[in-house]
Amino acid sequence: MKRTIGFIVNPIAGMGGRVGLKGTDGVLKEAKARKAKPVAPQKARETLKEVALQKKNKDIHWITCAGTMGEKELKRAGIKNINIAYASKNKETSSIDTKDACKQFLVKNVDLILFCGGDGTARDIFGIVQNKIPILGIPSGVKMHSGVFGVTIHATAKMIEDFVQGSIPVGDCEVMDLDEDLYRKGIWKVQLYGVAKGIIEPTYVQVGKTSFESVSDNDSKSDLSDHILEEMQRNPTTLFFFGSGGTIDAIAKNIGLAHTLLGIDAVYQKKVIGSDLNEEQILKLLKQYPQAKLILSPIGAQGFILGRGNLQLSPVVVKKIGIDNIIVVATTSKLTGTPFLRVDTGDTTLDSSFAKREFLMVVIGYRFSRVVKIQTNNF
Amino acid sequence: MGDKQKMKRNQTAFLKEEYQELVKNNFDWRPRTLESGSKPHSIIDGKEVIMLCSNNYLNLSNHPLLIQGSIDAAKKYGAGSGSVRAIAGTLKIHLEVEKRLAKFKHTEASLIYQTGFAATAGLIPQLVDKGDIVISDELNHGSIIDGVRLSKADRAIYKHKDMSDLEKVLRDADTKYRRILIITDGVFSMDGDIAPVDKIVKLANEFGAMTYVDDAHGEGVVGPEGRGIGAHFGIEGKIDVEMGTFSKAFGVVGGLIAGSRDLVNFAYNKSRTWLLSGSHPPAVSGAQLAAINVLETEPEHVKNLWENTRYFKKELVSMGFDTGNSETPITPVIVGESKIAKELSNLLFDEGIYALPIVFPMVAKDKARIRTMMNAGLSKKDLDFTLEVFEKLGKKLAII
Repeated sequence: MKRTIGFIVNPIAGMGGRVGLKGTDGVLKEAKARKAKPVAPQKARETLKEVALQKKNKDIHWITCAGTMGEKELKRAGIKNINIAYASKNKETSSIDTKDACKQFLVKNVDLILFCGGDGTARDIFGIVQNKIPILGIPSGVKMHSGVFGVTIHATAKMIEDFVQGSIPVGDCEVMDLDEDLYRKGIWKVQLYGVAKGIIEPTYVQVGKTSFESVSDNDSKSDLSDHILEEMQRNPTTLFFFGSGGTIDAIAKNIGLAHTLLGIDAVYQKKVIGSDLNEEQILKLLKQYPQAKLILSPIGAQGFILGRGNLQLSPVVVKKIGIDNIIVVATTSKLTGTPFLRVDTGDTTLDSSFAKREFLMVVIGYRFSRVVKIQTNNF
Repeated sequence: MGDKQKMKRNQTAFLKEEYQELVKNNFDWRPRTLESGSKPHSIIDGKEVIMLCSNNYLNLSNHPLLIQGSIDAAKKYGAGSGSVRAIAGTLKIHLEVEKRLAKFKHTEASLIYQTGFAATAGLIPQLVDKGDIVISDELNHGSIIDGVRLSKADRAIYKHKDMSDLEKVLRDADTKYRRILIITDGVFSMDGDIAPVDKIVKLANEFGAMTYVDDAHGEGVVGPEGRGIGAHFGIEGKIDVEMGTFSKAFGVVGGLIAGSRDLVNFAYNKSRTWLLSGSHPPAVSGAQLAAINVLETEPEHVKNLWENTRYFKKELVSMGFDTGNSETPITPVIVGESKIAKELSNLLFDEGIYALPIVFPMVAKDKARIRTMMNAGLSKKDLDFTLEVFEKLGKKLAII
């Protein structure tokens, strides 16, 4: 299958990391002063070299940016089928260049955007293309909370090969980022910016002795919806809080609820009684409805269920609801890339009561669950 | 108007479409034809080949006593049984098989099903229902998955053979459910490894969970005299449901369960597959009976199978092949990518060896393999020939 891939390198991505800046957004000067060296170009080159060796490499038409934003690394990897769609006029490239290049990718109607960078770059790209084009990241930033990255360079190259062969479908991936300004002031706040399209490995279930059917992410989500719907019917006097992210959004929509993708909603007897709630509103509802359950799904690439992207679920809220009343849901394909669940509530006693459990049962289908270990340490 | 003639839908178009889709993706089955019986040297599609993918591990399907057993039973009882077991199809020979089998398995009782699949699909949904949970190894066989699907019970899976994972699920399930059923393969059919059934039974007892072991590939193969997984671990009668088959090492056909008298009474009264399918033809039962006798009186078959297995595996490994974690006569030869496995299988056939590739998604993408299944009837000369071919082709395809 012929594919057009938009390729972009954020040449400064990752520079802040080794010099202790937790990101490079807006502090390039400082990073350079601390003698930071470029990281992204090399990661890009290594990935592309692997892609160049793939048989289907000749089926790819590359659209990229001039110079260090893509062209240089493609050529170094020996790739020839290249068109330049954007050239930066600035000496030092910035997020404006990433965004402008993406506008060109939209015009050229590329099938996939392959980028080399971190959460900041993913956010910039998502800001322009939203979920119109699937995004795949070569992991090279300081922060990579988002779900759009390949696990390793090798895995990323393999995903490109499978994508070109048409054997990998597209699904939801969360785009997350740490607020770097707040972080440098000592405040840790990772926000969920949206749900992009990403490349997702399908999972397979055995249907006969040796025959299999592939289960798309959508089928999985529909199974999860059946499960949650039944849970709600079984507990008619329980208030259900729906967490954020793509999986829960799909479940809510399947059930017929208007849901806030990036926020927390409250649902009682299949009606939304509160949208995009903050901590105070949640606590107020909990006074009214003491019996509550909280539906969460691991977010981003690291498997966080609490402490990233949903800070309104504060330790007080979680304690009121009770760990036993948390229902964790995930599609099998998501769990494949998420070997652990992580919790970072900022409250050591609460974190340790999660730690004591060692694991949570994660619902992966209709009345179908599996054990997933839980980690509470920060990384 | 002609509305009445207008077709609402083409009701059978999907038959062709879905078949063509399978063909297009190379997912359709094209079974080869055996012109001989299933023998160590079989004639397949006109070609004599060494058989490395039949489940006839002990070569009992060609044993003169089994053939004679079939003939005698057919002569005595006729060609068919006339009914389902429950109504008028329970012949004396069916009961004889069950009695002999229970003795062979060192259990209180046993029950014969029409097939292994009928046992699983019939019994599991009766053992657990709404409000119960089935806990299953993630690599269990497809027929178990289907059996579990027929039940309204909740399902949870644990990591392959991981006892701490299983314990976690049990801990979580303990207070929430009425009944808990742990299901595992005895011998896993893709990798040939053995489930830690002794440990599973111990954990199950701690939590008051039932155990169900599908021993299709272990029956007649593992344990002293091939008595199966219970005997292998020295825990005969302690597995709540030991399920197996006459279709593989026993060389005949049919499913079986072995366990307590209570289990058997419950099972035949409740399993719809058992109640609603015709019972085995007498010739089948005659051969089953003979197979048990042969296993008890001729230990050389099981011995040969294991000697062949050990030799074949050892030589493959010394050539540099990856045979995974196999502990049984199922020896996977892991080659990597699917297309290499397919190519190797084709080349083997050209050289006179029949062994099928197992590819993604049956196994992981980079773990495609040729699955070989040893046969007690193969001679050392046969094995040396086979190994030579494997070495030649392994080098040719740069696997070793």
